[in-house]
Amino acid sequence: MNNEEKFTVPSATLVEKPAEYELRAEVPGIGKEDAELHMEGKTLTLKTHAKYQNPAGFKVAAQEFERVNYSMSVDLPDMADPSALSAKLENGILTVVVKKRPETQAKKIDIL
Amino acid sequence: MNTLMNIDPWGLLDELFNTGSRTFRTVKARVAGRFPPVNVLLDDNAVIIDLELPGKTAKDVELSLEPQAVTIADKPAIPEGEAKPAAEMRPAWSRRLELPFRVDADKANAKFANGILRIELPKADAPAVRKIAIAG
Repeated sequence: MNNEEKFTVPSATLVEKPAEYELRAEVPGIGKEDAELHMEGKTLTLKTHAKYQNPAGFKVAAQEFERVNYSMSVDLPDMADPSALSAKLENGILTVVVKKRPETQAKKIDIL
Repeated sequence: MNTLMNIDPWGLLDELFNTGSRTFRTVKARVAGRFPPVNVLLDDNAVIIDLELPGKTAKDVELSLEPQAVTIADKPAIPEGEAKPAAEMRPAWSRRLELPFRVDADKANAKFANGILRIELPKADAPAVRKIAIAG
């Protein structure tokens, strides 16, 4: 990276599913080894520290995107269970799945 | 007067490529659709093209190489079984980059890493001057 202290907030979506929440963030250029996820209370924090450098001797002829590091904090909804969390980073997309607390899930009530 | 008709969305892009930086002029882009952003790196012997394509893999992108240009296009997924209308099979985006020199197609290589596609195109050896005998 040209400037290691510069962080960008990734483009991300949080989707609610019946039993879980799914957070998807676009972090192109970031590998698993470059990303750090922290959970503090209800706050999920992502920070990346990739070190990119253009190949030696090459000049930039056109630049439409920057190789940046990403930083993001998300407050998970009250119904989320921060201890039931899984994350994967594939092809520059970070996916975090957080289960809902069982007691908050809708129950079907039989009508007698 | 219809002002809407006068708006040329690619005009701005052309302006960007045609003014200021000389290097921008050497790599001229022709674009269609909403394309992913590209970075182009040059040295005397090769050109490197990086595309930002988070979530995509090799099966989602199609590359075709001409001696002095490269076209990068989205590859529409073919749904199993059913025939799709031709319009849906067209790539969602495609982009042709003209290169400042002829490249060697045999030594070209392209690789995805963490949602970034890197295409490396080495310069072709200078074509030998060919003498043409004049008949008669």
